Amino acid sequence: MNLFKATWGFLFRLFPCPTETGLRKIGNPSEESPVLVTCNFYTTVQRLSRALRGQDVWLLVAESRGVNVWCAACGNEFNTRSVVSAIKTSGIEEAVSHRTVILPPLGAAGISAREVEKQTGWHTRWGPVRARDIPAYLNARRKRTEAMKRATYTLVERLDTALGSLFPFYSLVALAFLGFAPHLLGYFLLTLALTFLIFFGLCPWIPGKHGWQKVLFLDAILGLALAAVVFWPPATTRPVRTILIMAMLLFALHGGELGGLSSTWASDFDPLMARLGLRAIGNTRFAGTTRTDLLIGARLLTHNTEDCSSCGACVAVCPLGVWDRGPDRRVVLERREACTACCACLTQCPEGAITAQPV
Amino acid sequence: MFSYVFMKLLEGRPETYDRRVERVAGGHIRAVKEQIANLVHPGDQVLEIGCGTGELAVMMARRGAKVTAFDASEQMVRAARTRMVREKLEDRVTLEPLEVSGMDRLESATYDVVVSTLVLSELSPDEQRYAIKHAARVLRAGGHIAFADEVRPRTTWQRLRYQAVRFPMLAVTYLVSRSSTRPLEDLSGQLSNAGLEVTREERSLGDAFALVVACKPQEGGKR
Repeated sequence: MNLFKATWGFLFRLFPCPTETGLRKIGNPSEESPVLVTCNFYTTVQRLSRALRGQDVWLLVAESRGVNVWCAACGNEFNTRSVVSAIKTSGIEEAVSHRTVILPPLGAAGISAREVEKQTGWHTRWGPVRARDIPAYLNARRKRTEAMKRATYTLVERLDTALGSLFPFYSLVALAFLGFAPHLLGYFLLTLALTFLIFFGLCPWIPGKHGWQKVLFLDAILGLALAAVVFWPPATTRPVRTILIMAMLLFALHGGELGGLSSTWASDFDPLMARLGLRAIGNTRFAGTTRTDLLIGARLLTHNTEDCSSCGACVAVCPLGVWDRGPDRRVVLERREACTACCACLTQCPEGAITAQPV
Repeated sequence: MFSYVFMKLLEGRPETYDRRVERVAGGHIRAVKEQIANLVHPGDQVLEIGCGTGELAVMMARRGAKVTAFDASEQMVRAARTRMVREKLEDRVTLEPLEVSGMDRLESATYDVVVSTLVLSELSPDEQRYAIKHAARVLRAGGHIAFADEVRPRTTWQRLRYQAVRFPMLAVTYLVSRSSTRPLEDLSGQLSNAGLEVTREERSLGDAFALVVACKPQEGGKR
């Protein structure tokens, strides 16, 4: 069962994979040990537990309907309500003598820290973005370095999320080839492996801010190559042509929704659906949400400096450094262009000084 | 044979929720609610956990009870308010949006009856324990709890039959709403653990549904 869930959670992560909510012990925690909150996505809990090996901590698994922290928080499945319920019903209040809970910062779009404090009487702190930084964070007396606050999209992370998200779709396509054109299956798998490694391996260096711009760049090169092959045919052009056409299509599929794979990229898919006037598919809403409005430019992230007390709640949660402190320690909207519209700053701001103004 | 897992699909539309649940359940849940309402006497203070659109609250208020009802969904509470106005029962029924995790705010030993239908199976095991603990706390000595919900059938054969019916429904529900319910393992046992005396347990739907009535012992009485 665990092997099945581990495989499912890794390769089919587009579908929720829930694990039991509630309090778990990592190592041998005492009543003074730190309390960490996470979501109930099987793979997250598994990887977090592995990263925490050797530590003595309490892990509070809160309801997120089996979805990872970032996606569930943005989709309002992992929110204030889940964290409040976990703190009050799990028995953690009897297990520890302190009242401080460490929250995952990628959950800040859904979890309002001040609401959790108000409803439970507990103090909240934002932990590091990545699980593997938690031991260092705990050893440094719960001080986060700047790097611990930022989301990254490293080679390993790219290959991991891309493989996990695209696998179900490409295995269906491979099955279709097997059934209808078995002689092309080999070409397909070869092209898939090559394009996958090129696209996700070189992703940051391929020109273009959005996924579709990167696809256009790559497909333009392949288009030229295809034209060359068609007009100056050497002896064996057929397989080359097939591979080139497949590669163009595959690049488009790889890059179609980079935002869905990483917290460092804004979604392309959601604003496209919103522009097409589609309100929702199932529980996922597009048109009319603050998030998509920000992405299509119907609203603008705005900092009302008069209302701002420079408390830094926004600086603490933005995984991309959109908010920062200026030389005079006042909060400034530093890098609006990096914003992926997760809306964590809007959720956290106690003064309502951050707004999404209609344009 | 039937499973209430389907109801998760209908929650988004409170205005037609009762009618549609009724249609798929063939009048079963309404009959159970009537049984529960029969336990209530005029003048009783009643608490309903997870009132939905307020169908049971109306039945109990008509029997002369003062009902306090809450639900985690504000949408459902709004629908229930509209219903109370329509039924002219606003002064007998108090409605409030409240999570199970907020039940510690309710005052101890206040209610003669605490009722709930199809709510516990939507909660996590921790939340179930918490809800039962606080239900027992807010009950007056000698008062009753009546909970009705999906439960795990007792024999292997019944469990197999139940799963065979439930699984396709679960699959559809899960695909559309990404949510599901979890049949309770041992409702009577959980109530006993909270210090209550189970006085009645009635099973229906091929042993997969239970109405459990339990009593809070008088002070100094036997436990």
